Amino acid sequence: MTGGRASRRGGADLTDRHRPHPALALTGVAYRYGQLRAVDQLDLRVAPGEVLALLGPNGAGKSTTINLLLGLLPPQTGTVEVFGGRPALAVAAGRLGAMLQENQLLPRVRVAELLGFARGLYPDPMPLDEVLDLAHLTGVAGRMTEALSGGQQQRVRFALAVIGQPDLLVLDEPTAALDVAARRDLWAAMRRYVARGRTLVFSTHYLAEADENADRIVVLAGGRKIADGSPAEIKRRVPGRAITIRLPGAAVSPAALLALPGVVAVDLAGDRAQLSSTDSDATVLALARQGLVRGLEVVGANLEDAFLALTGNAKGSPPA
Amino acid sequence: MMGYLRLELRRTLRAPGFLIFTIVMPLVMYLIFTNLGAVTGQGDAGDAALYAMISIGGFGAIGALLNYGSSIVADRSSGWLRHLRLTPLSPLRVVLGKALTGMLLALPPVVALCVAAATVNGVRLHPAQWFAIVPMLWLGSAPFVLLGLGIGYLCTAQTVQPANFLAYFGFSLLGGLWLPLPTFPDWLRVIGRLTPTHGYADLPLRVVDFNDSPTTVDVLVLGGWFAVFAVFAVYAYRRSAARRDA
Repeated sequence: MTGGRASRRGGADLTDRHRPHPALALTGVAYRYGQLRAVDQLDLRVAPGEVLALLGPNGAGKSTTINLLLGLLPPQTGTVEVFGGRPALAVAAGRLGAMLQENQLLPRVRVAELLGFARGLYPDPMPLDEVLDLAHLTGVAGRMTEALSGGQQQRVRFALAVIGQPDLLVLDEPTAALDVAARRDLWAAMRRYVARGRTLVFSTHYLAEADENADRIVVLAGGRKIADGSPAEIKRRVPGRAITIRLPGAAVSPAALLALPGVVAVDLAGDRAQLSSTDSDATVLALARQGLVRGLEVVGANLEDAFLALTGNAKGSPPA
Repeated sequence: MMGYLRLELRRTLRAPGFLIFTIVMPLVMYLIFTNLGAVTGQGDAGDAALYAMISIGGFGAIGALLNYGSSIVADRSSGWLRHLRLTPLSPLRVVLGKALTGMLLALPPVVALCVAAATVNGVRLHPAQWFAIVPMLWLGSAPFVLLGLGIGYLCTAQTVQPANFLAYFGFSLLGGLWLPLPTFPDWLRVIGRLTPTHGYADLPLRVVDFNDSPTTVDVLVLGGWFAVFAVFAVYAYRRSAARRDA
């Protein structure tokens, strides 16, 4: 096991003791690609030890936000601070580690060689055995990176991100393109790392993943922060289910459907109504009481639609 | 940075084709060319063995540098350089590490050719001449590591091979690494004299009295190209950095 190294720096260093800096602070940050506002006036503070999920559909600005907070993109307006300084300082000190989305592993190198090289870059790296154990890679340490499965490759990339024992770990859609088992393995490793009191910021477009793993969820859409709260608070606002019923004639007004419990948006198409709901059980029971259950379908909501509902761009307007 | 150098050396020596391209190919070319002369009975086989040792040894060193330097294109497209940016290893040290690795990889083809010349073709030189020729062939190739890195930072995975091929074979041919300059028509000889490959090979060739052009011209030509390739490499690096893949 990998416990027993809860705090390698023996608590906060001097400057931190004087005035604790947030692990991450974005203030009025904006970034646009041409006309497209990828990130728009974003304010975000993450306390040391917090696990924060950046939740949003594709194109919400998650990756741009992550590139900004890592210092890979300079903000066009606003400031980004990591532990009270520029991101580049935190990178140089080995306090900031990251796993980006598009990176492939270096070819023609064994896992242990690659991790051994990475260890040499940091002032206080994890022992090789420890990082292999943490990322469940002990059995494949001697393999070439090309010979690994997708899940194993992703765990090597995770190992590269944590080997320097960064205080702030940033993961951009760490489980994208992984199957269920690989996703579970990776989260087990990530949780074990975070259990040491490190700060984690990760992006995802799965509400369930954010809910299960984060202390706090920030919802991004169109480059803006549209919700910020605990998983329980976010789940109350983000509709997780889409309920479809058949509505022959205009039997019920959209306003009446919106008034049903849990419903945050209503979309009428032909003789079918789609209700976005934050509480599908309550919504279905209410529909049944009104005798509206005809051709009922309940599916996991398409997050894009769910976020549109949240931002008020859906056809139905959210209830007051 | 030593760790980076070790990693890069290991990975390059594992690359299929690298040793074939940079050692086996020049070696085979050398042995065929020099022994063809003996078979056909034309010219002085001893001269050919010595001249070709230097020119094809240089050809091998340049091949290693262009081949390795331009391999940075793969590090860019895979996102590896972006990952390194998120470690305490600075981009400057990455570039320096690449350049030093390239220089280490340029030595084996030079040594291989000299060993083949001495053992197979019976080339005999004064120790002082060996001690002058080997470092000249090795270190004189330095401008080409800059050219290779520049190509690697500028090109895409699709364009890197043709660019490398043009630079490698173009400069080798024009500079007289395959056929000596005196066999060229006059107009081509003028161009050939101004290539970096010619200045590079001329210096060791002078050690064994193969040419009579003044040393200062060769040094100026080689130094000039060093500066040009350095500017090119910096430009290419900046362009790549602006596209956030360096």
